[in-house]
Amino acid sequence: MQIAISIDDTDNLESRGTGALASLLAEEIELRRWGRSHYVTRHQLLVHPDIPYTSHNSAMCFTADIVPEYLQSIIDYAAGFLDRESATGSDPGLCVVPIDRLERCADLIHFGHRAKEVVLSKEDAYALASRSGIHLSEHGGTGQGVIGALAGAGLRLSGNDGRLKGCLPVAARNGCVSVAELRAHDDVDEVRSIDGIELSGDEQVRLGDKVKTVLLEGKAVLLIEPLAGAADGVAWQTCSKQRLKRF
Amino acid sequence: MESFPFYLDSTGQRQFAGGQDDWRSAAQVADQCLEFLQDVDEELVADEPRSCYNCRLRRWTARSFTCMGDGFF
Repeated sequence: MQIAISIDDTDNLESRGTGALASLLAEEIELRRWGRSHYVTRHQLLVHPDIPYTSHNSAMCFTADIVPEYLQSIIDYAAGFLDRESATGSDPGLCVVPIDRLERCADLIHFGHRAKEVVLSKEDAYALASRSGIHLSEHGGTGQGVIGALAGAGLRLSGNDGRLKGCLPVAARNGCVSVAELRAHDDVDEVRSIDGIELSGDEQVRLGDKVKTVLLEGKAVLLIEPLAGAADGVAWQTCSKQRLKRF
Repeated sequence: MESFPFYLDSTGQRQFAGGQDDWRSAAQVADQCLEFLQDVDEELVADEPRSCYNCRLRRWTARSFTCMGDGFF
């Protein structure tokens, strides 16, 4: 079965980030042979004076294909992990969505989109989780992180929100690779021009210092943009962090 | 940005006057700041590594960010 695990508000200004904890959880699922974890995505939520957050208000989510009988073990482990590892002063929340059994996926996605636009309450989150068969739990502080955790899962399942955590290791000659080589990368589902221009496999792409993908249409998409003053047949470059900020 | 890059908002917090897209000023301010603390990788948004936009002590607001440090003041 496939599940989504989403966490939010686990950090403070001195601690590891929430993304690091999500990665550790994903690794532990594989180490314990409970299933196979997929990439972690970061989802931006509303920043508003009425919402407590450390510095950015983003949730982190990953999906995993698991052996069904380990679902409760995974929930228990993740809950204990957040109890132990979350930073002092944080308000951690954990959300585990059994995707195959989810009856009202559209409601969860809608909740995620709303959490980017309006201030939601814990009551809103628990009501949706309860009627949808979603695990939602608090692990310290005010537990406000349950709102972001649930929203993060909804945004991940929307398939059209967020950036993938981490950067792609890409071997390049003189800092350039072909579109075909990028398409063949294990962690890239698709290479697209940010302006929607069709790309052929032999087009050359100059790599930035960090190559990152975003989640679009349920795929890990590497966005590229025209390279100004192109020379030596290199007409494209990977998008800068600044360009990817809106994802 | 010629004038002072921060102003006090109605709650007494230091708001960055450049909003969220003044990449040059954000880098200049961070370059002079004694408390710059680079955020975790997934929260970096500026291409200049040392930028207020990449600092853990910036707290994003709807239009800009507030600075929670004292390194520039």
